[in-house]
Amino acid sequence: MPRFRRPVLARPALGRTALSRRRFLAGSAAVGISLKLPKGAFAEGGKVNFYNWDTYIGESTIENFEEETDIEVQYDLFADNAELFAKLRGGNPGYDLIVPTNDYVERLIEAELLLSLDHSKIPNIENIDPAFMDVAFDPGREYSLPYMWGTIGIGYRKSAVDAPPESWEDLLASDRYAGRIALLSEPTTVLQMAMKAQGNSLNDWSDENLAAAEKMLIEQKPRITAFAPDNGQDLLLAGEVDLAMEWNGDIQQIMEEDDDIGYVLPKEGGLRWEDTLAIPVGAQNVENAHVLINYLLDAEVGAEIADFIQYATPNAAAKALMGEEYTANPVIFPSDEAMQNSETAVAPTQEQMQKIDEAWTRIKASS
Amino acid sequence: MVAISEKAGRRPLVFAAFGLPVLIWLGLFFVVPLGIIGLYSFGENVSITRIETTWTLANYARITDPVILELFWRSLWLAAVATLICLAVGLPMALVIATASPGAKPWLLLAIMLPFWTNLLIRTYALLNILGTRGRLNDVLGWLHAKGQSLLGALGLDHLGLLGERFVPLTLLGTPAGVVYGIVYVSLPFAILPIYSSLERMDRTLLEASMDLGAGQWTTVRRVLVPLALPGILTAALITFIPALGQFLTPDLLGRGQVDMIANVIERQFKKANDWPFGSALSLVLLYVTFILLAARAFADAARTRRSERDREIAAAAIRAAAPERRASA
Amino acid sequence: MRDAPPGPFDYSRKWSLRLVFLLGAVFLYVPIIVLIVFSFNDSRRGGNVIWKGFTTKYYGRAFGNEELMIAFGNSLTIAVISTIASVVLGTLTAVLLWRFRFPLKSAVEGLVALPIVIPEICLGVSLAMFFSRFGWGGIAEAPWPLNLTNIVIAHITFSFPFAAMVIRTRLASFNPETAEAARDLGASEWRAFRDVLVPHLKPGLVAAALLSFTLSLDDFVVTFFTSGPGTVTFPVKIYSMVRFSVTPEINAASTVLILLTLVLTFFALRYQRIAS
Repeated sequence: MPRFRRPVLARPALGRTALSRRRFLAGSAAVGISLKLPKGAFAEGGKVNFYNWDTYIGESTIENFEEETDIEVQYDLFADNAELFAKLRGGNPGYDLIVPTNDYVERLIEAELLLSLDHSKIPNIENIDPAFMDVAFDPGREYSLPYMWGTIGIGYRKSAVDAPPESWEDLLASDRYAGRIALLSEPTTVLQMAMKAQGNSLNDWSDENLAAAEKMLIEQKPRITAFAPDNGQDLLLAGEVDLAMEWNGDIQQIMEEDDDIGYVLPKEGGLRWEDTLAIPVGAQNVENAHVLINYLLDAEVGAEIADFIQYATPNAAAKALMGEEYTANPVIFPSDEAMQNSETAVAPTQEQMQKIDEAWTRIKASS
Repeated sequence: MVAISEKAGRRPLVFAAFGLPVLIWLGLFFVVPLGIIGLYSFGENVSITRIETTWTLANYARITDPVILELFWRSLWLAAVATLICLAVGLPMALVIATASPGAKPWLLLAIMLPFWTNLLIRTYALLNILGTRGRLNDVLGWLHAKGQSLLGALGLDHLGLLGERFVPLTLLGTPAGVVYGIVYVSLPFAILPIYSSLERMDRTLLEASMDLGAGQWTTVRRVLVPLALPGILTAALITFIPALGQFLTPDLLGRGQVDMIANVIERQFKKANDWPFGSALSLVLLYVTFILLAARAFADAARTRRSERDREIAAAAIRAAAPERRASA
Repeated sequence: MRDAPPGPFDYSRKWSLRLVFLLGAVFLYVPIIVLIVFSFNDSRRGGNVIWKGFTTKYYGRAFGNEELMIAFGNSLTIAVISTIASVVLGTLTAVLLWRFRFPLKSAVEGLVALPIVIPEICLGVSLAMFFSRFGWGGIAEAPWPLNLTNIVIAHITFSFPFAAMVIRTRLASFNPETAEAARDLGASEWRAFRDVLVPHLKPGLVAAALLSFTLSLDDFVVTFFTSGPGTVTFPVKIYSMVRFSVTPEINAASTVLILLTLVLTFFALRYQRIAS
């Protein structure tokens, strides 16, 4: 779930020289990485319909792809996993490659809306960090491959707090910052963070945990300024709130505009998410979709994307090409210690979803 | 204001010419999809994407939950307030346009429509800029407050604390007031256009005749102008109120997610909650509620028609009675 | 007699009403002005929040954004086709219900009103399923403008009841005896309709057209569900962009769209004045 909008003009290199094709080839020969593309995969040309989040790709990635492979890319945007799911559920109108987040990948697999990926057509799969290759939501990566990952934590204004917030309680239970708090408007996520604040796992949707989380939020609601769908970081930047539950990339972006902003993962842990590449059932250009996936997993391309959108890349080969300013950034790559209590979400069952929605309706309706 | 009612059978071809395109379009592109929704409302999720119509009433039963009912009530209330404000502001504005010179008219119409050709989301974000506690509106109010304080100071009245100690910014965002502001903002042209349409080329001689007969200006307005404009006002009320009930962006953005309306719940069912049967049931109930309002309007229309027909007959009889000689000689 | 004092019903010349109109216009336009002003804001994000300096580069970027331009084009095309069809269908509906008596008439009246009432997301989802089940799903691959068919159908479906309501309001002030007189004088049904009824309806038709155009141009929810690859409209595109931040580029694009529609309407009005 990216929310990053970088300026189209690339930032002036801050100690990191721009990658040029020649330099890269020279370097890669030294390192032994090579651009692997399946032979003859793009001899025929054709097109591919790519459905992605906004500003979630490198500046010229699509143009470069089209040049190299002669495949025309129809690039469309979506803004919400649930919308993507609702749309595909009604019948795929023709998308070939989509970028769902991990919990929705689970749902899509369960709904049999994804095609199996043919790994033999994606040799660049070996660029991926092995830690990402076998995940609970898609064992063996049969249906999806990792694209970017990140966290949800707390964005805050340094001058408005005594110390960087250590706990979700500052947002969800205490009245220290009453009237200066923004939460997300995603029911599952907010309730998950409430459960974390109470020391429970964010995937344990037992009735007691849910009821306790609901109670906490109903009590806290009068102190909350906004349930922001995506603009929590704008509220923070504008000074309307001092604490915001937000995606790390969004906060990273406004940190560039305002030094007084910081990002932290609370001690109870935050959410760890992963965005993936997948091919939905009903795609008309499956071959070309595989070619595109393979291209995006290429080391140089991956590095270009990561450099532009400043999210964490699961592509080890791409990461190796990045400078320290990126790899050592604690907002993008939190330390193991900071991450230790953060969890990845498992998609709730349909029954759990109904209870979550009812709890959320009660929370939103209360005053 | 007479509606004729000709039996369809008398001119079947004409009837078909008017009726068939409409019925076919509605039948194909509305009734069928709506039928799917109807079936869903009596169904349940048997898997994450499949719905089986088991003719269960469970979805409807969930609607009796007090929280849902409260949301329905709140939505009706907010929509009604917004509609009243739209009518109160829209009627004078429509009057101005309808009575303007023919050269100015299209430009005035254009002027009120133009803001609505801007994307709703962007306009709403611009409103956020204006209505925030540190937004432009409060800037203006704060400036006025400061000027007021200095004026009072100059008059030596500042110790009375008439304007309060400090300027307290108006909090509109995140409150029902802000949501109503947003709904009015979105609905105003929908209120103005129908009233304009019915007032356009209104017979001013009627108004002048009423004045000539001795009725004062206000009486004329009340008893001649408003009835003339009434069909437009009623239509304006309906096409403002009904979409207002279905608003979800405005409560989300201007209400900061604090002032949920029923459409927020419906929207969630089709997206995050993935509970299409419940969403369908809620949508159908919303349809029934507004249906009742439309039926009320139809009754009012029919009553008015019957009344005016009766009035016409009475007037005709009175004229006949008053001038029998003339008829005899005609 | 422009110098004559305003008559009692010359509302457009009364100061009190002019003031109300002006205040109403201010209410409507202030966010638009903010929008336009901030389109010149030299800030990468937080486009509406902090003013950082003047620049016109975002206009350049908006024009250079090919997808945005295509979305513009799609939106305008869909709006024009949908408006014409909605006004036609709306007129047929209004006259049908006003003039004829037939069995199940109240049912039809109710049916016509339903698309106004139904929540947009419900309509969008049901139309999407309808289209995919009945084989029109692949239409997105068709050449322009055919690939917009699904969206146009959806827009007409929710606009024409609005148009019908507005036109019906106008019909309420029509004296049917005029049409009967015309027919008595030998005019055919069609002539009576075209030369007697339609001229009276004109303000209603104009109002209905403006309404339908607005509804179509700004629709997001239904369009989202009925659109496919390559058939993005302006609101759908904006929605996916604005979720990140309202950048000056988005404001610039909106300003351009306003200007474009203004220019088009200006020419339409000029043409109409010349033609009449």
